[in-house]
Amino acid sequence: MRRVLLHLMLPFFLTVLAVVAIAWVGYTSYRTTQAGVSRLTHELLEAVQLNIGQEVADYIMPAVTGNQVASGMIAHAPVQVQDRVFYAYASTVLREAPQLQSFYLADEQGSFMLVTRGTQKGLLDRVRLVSKGTSRVFHHELYDEHDTKVKEWDADAKDYDPRTRPWYADTNGVNGIKWTQPFLFPDDGQFVMTSSVRFKGGDGHTLVFAANISLNQLSAYLEKIKIGNSGSAMIVDSKGRIMAGRNLTQQARAAGWNPDKMVINPKDEPVFSLGYDHYRVRGFGPHNVTTNGQHYITMASALPRYSEGWVLLIAVPAQDFASFGRQSSRQSLQFAGIIVVFSIFVGGLFIRQVRRTERGTRQLATQQAQITLESAAVRQVAMAPQLFDPSVEPLVLTTQLARVTQARRASLWRFLHDGAAMVCEESYDLTQDIHTGGFEMGGPELAKFFAAINEGAPFTVGTAAADERTAAFERLVMREIGTRTLAVYPVSGPKGVLGMIALEDPTLLPHLQYFLDLTTNIAGTRFAAQQVLEQHAAQAPAGQAPDRPPPAALAPVLTDNMLMHVPELETLQGASIYSSVAVLVITFSDPVVEGEQEVTALITLINQLAMDVQAIAAEEQLFAVEVAGHRMICMAGCTAAPDPGALSRVADAALRMRETFMAALAAADLEPVFTMGIDYGTAFGGAVGQSPKVFNLWGQTVSLAELMAEGASDPGVIQVTERVYAALRDRYLFRSRGAFFAPHLGLGRAYTLAARR
Amino acid sequence: METYSSGPLLELNKAIPSFEESGLPPLPFSMKLMPGDCVVVEVRDAARATMFADICSGLVPLDGGNVSFMGLDWTQMKDRALNALRGRIGRITRRASWPEFVPTHIAIMLQQLHHTTRPQDDLLQEAARLAEWFGLPGLPTLSPALLSDTDLCRAACVRAFLGRPHLLLLEDPLEGGPQELANPFLGAITEARDRGAGVIWLVRGNAVWQRYRQGITASWRLADDGLAAVRMA
Repeated sequence: MRRVLLHLMLPFFLTVLAVVAIAWVGYTSYRTTQAGVSRLTHELLEAVQLNIGQEVADYIMPAVTGNQVASGMIAHAPVQVQDRVFYAYASTVLREAPQLQSFYLADEQGSFMLVTRGTQKGLLDRVRLVSKGTSRVFHHELYDEHDTKVKEWDADAKDYDPRTRPWYADTNGVNGIKWTQPFLFPDDGQFVMTSSVRFKGGDGHTLVFAANISLNQLSAYLEKIKIGNSGSAMIVDSKGRIMAGRNLTQQARAAGWNPDKMVINPKDEPVFSLGYDHYRVRGFGPHNVTTNGQHYITMASALPRYSEGWVLLIAVPAQDFASFGRQSSRQSLQFAGIIVVFSIFVGGLFIRQVRRTERGTRQLATQQAQITLESAAVRQVAMAPQLFDPSVEPLVLTTQLARVTQARRASLWRFLHDGAAMVCEESYDLTQDIHTGGFEMGGPELAKFFAAINEGAPFTVGTAAADERTAAFERLVMREIGTRTLAVYPVSGPKGVLGMIALEDPTLLPHLQYFLDLTTNIAGTRFAAQQVLEQHAAQAPAGQAPDRPPPAALAPVLTDNMLMHVPELETLQGASIYSSVAVLVITFSDPVVEGEQEVTALITLINQLAMDVQAIAAEEQLFAVEVAGHRMICMAGCTAAPDPGALSRVADAALRMRETFMAALAAADLEPVFTMGIDYGTAFGGAVGQSPKVFNLWGQTVSLAELMAEGASDPGVIQVTERVYAALRDRYLFRSRGAFFAPHLGLGRAYTLAARR
Repeated sequence: METYSSGPLLELNKAIPSFEESGLPPLPFSMKLMPGDCVVVEVRDAARATMFADICSGLVPLDGGNVSFMGLDWTQMKDRALNALRGRIGRITRRASWPEFVPTHIAIMLQQLHHTTRPQDDLLQEAARLAEWFGLPGLPTLSPALLSDTDLCRAACVRAFLGRPHLLLLEDPLEGGPQELANPFLGAITEARDRGAGVIWLVRGNAVWQRYRQGITASWRLADDGLAAVRMA
């Protein structure tokens, strides 16, 4: 759990933390940029507004100041040259100021002069109202750029009287510049305003000087200037009428050429309409408006004072300025995204690296454990006494082979009869912890298996039953315990392959090869030594064993300490040496009894056990069963000629007696209070005493059987000597208890007889 | 072995074990063990029982008081005397105490070979006799690691009683050990007491020693509140 927390959760948490931090920085940056962009937008709009204001002032200035200059000049000029001063001034200004259209001069007597632009470019039309007879006409004189008259003509003035015109009449009683309402000229689309000023001439007459200024130029300027990407400006007067702006002509046409109707239409100009409404409610300054889901910034500002309360309206889509911020934010977001992806990638790499390191550490630990196991196994092998002595069972080899390779069973096989058969020298079953051996296999069906071994190269078969080389071995040996995989390591000697090591269901790892090579070579040395011993034995002259004298005729023997004996015992006389006696000693521990009832029950039990022993001994054809206190001595093979079946009969009897005792004691609710010991070998026996004569058996075999019984590891156990194990191991299952030293017997191994195969 | 008869065999005189070294409560422990005595000390915790045996063997530093064996204070002796005196103690301990680098028969004799000058053959004979006594078919010669737990328990008894020790510090081998060990074990205790040895039998519960209660001299209990005498019913 802690490892998962450290190796997965921590990097994940750190990655999430990094992502959140980056996102927070990105958001903060976005907010800061937005605020900066907003401030910048307002400053920019103010600058634009100032610029437009200046432009409007510059545009109107010639009309306003021109009026004052011209009126001053005309007022102070002699009367005779007043018209020339007017013409000179008007001609000059019209050539220099394109926004000015014409100049008027009139007095209270009805005289009227006009300078205006001609129909052709560069020509100026000077007009004077004159009387010709009874009618009044406009006398036109057309002058070119060099002030040369190129044409003159008269036009009927009808009843024109300048004193009735608004530009003249409106100045009455006004001191200073007076603007007329704008008026439109549908024929040329001009949108004109007139500024006029009233003054006194040098002759005392009242004069009015007027200048016509075209607002079309101002509109063109407003259309031309760029505010953001798609912003625009408009000038309206204090009553909301459009003075200048985009598409002025179209608007004029839509208003029927009536300037009073040229107000802001919410349908055509929704943004300006809203901006104007905001201005009317909240006054000058920037305002944010929204229409059709789009945000706009509008700004209303006052124009110069002589502009009769005009208001400049500017409208810009917010995104024109915010786009910079948005772009910046998008870039920030992209950077953040890249960093996040990179962080996740690095986090992933880190987690992957940590997991790999962890896996490596686990593998290292496994290898370390394997090395420790192998080292321990090698040490055990090295410590094993008489490792190369073929007469001593190589238990340690198979045990360690099975432990190191985790094989179900490890066995050591040696070739017999010039390679026609194999004998199992030793076999160790890991799961049951049992050593066996001694069985042989041979025959033509194993020829392929033997041939494969004789090739000398190790081989492993995943399914032994399916491979033609190992099928026979699987059927004969492996099927018994249900193993599938077989690994065979041929054991080579100086003259070719001597045998093999067979591992069933092993876990083979590459580095185990060294240990396997080591054990294979040890086995090879043992097999070679075995061959030498066998050759020596074959060369020795036969019949060295001393001929034993035939037993003499024996007197009848009293057998009152015998539970059972064979009839031949009756005829035994004197003492004799028996070369292959099997002795089973059964010892009972002293029972604790209290009361007569228990004693009676116990005696009944002992009697039953005794009868059971008698029956089993008779069935197994034992020689005799002797009772001595809390011990029983069962014997077989007390014959002059060696009895090859004696030991196995005793072993069978021991196993059956153990079962019987266990059942009887369990029925009496008692613990198993007996142990058994078996030895096999030479013993002395004979009838001793005078009257009664009894048969007695003694010698090392009996002592060892007693020692085995006394020193059994647990109650109910049958402990046997190494000689018994060597004789029976191919037919019975044994468990090794270890090697022991007894001063009078030397070093020997003790085994526990478990069951019949 | 001459019987020691000039006062208590083992005496704990207000001995306060160092808590840092032993983990035992730092309280004054007082106890006397006369030759031939068999004292049962009930200790629930196996590690604590081992530590108590260490105190008796003079292996634990004391914060106060003293521990005397055969009239000699452990702290007042030099190495040579310490080694000789410890050769007269037989122990069964639950602490892992079997060396892996020697066979079991050497491991059994190692204590006597180290602490005494007895000839190896004598020891071998005695060890083999004790091995048979405790139910082994002989003196085990394999590595201790290859022996079964019950055989190792028997070997531990052999080691403890080897050399006819004056003092036996026995962490109970019967509980969890083979049942048939009881008779040889109690027999060996009786035999040792008969020749003047003192026995401290460290048990976990009082069920184990009930069979031998007639032979018990005194009963104590070692707990968090120190060493306290228990009245025997």
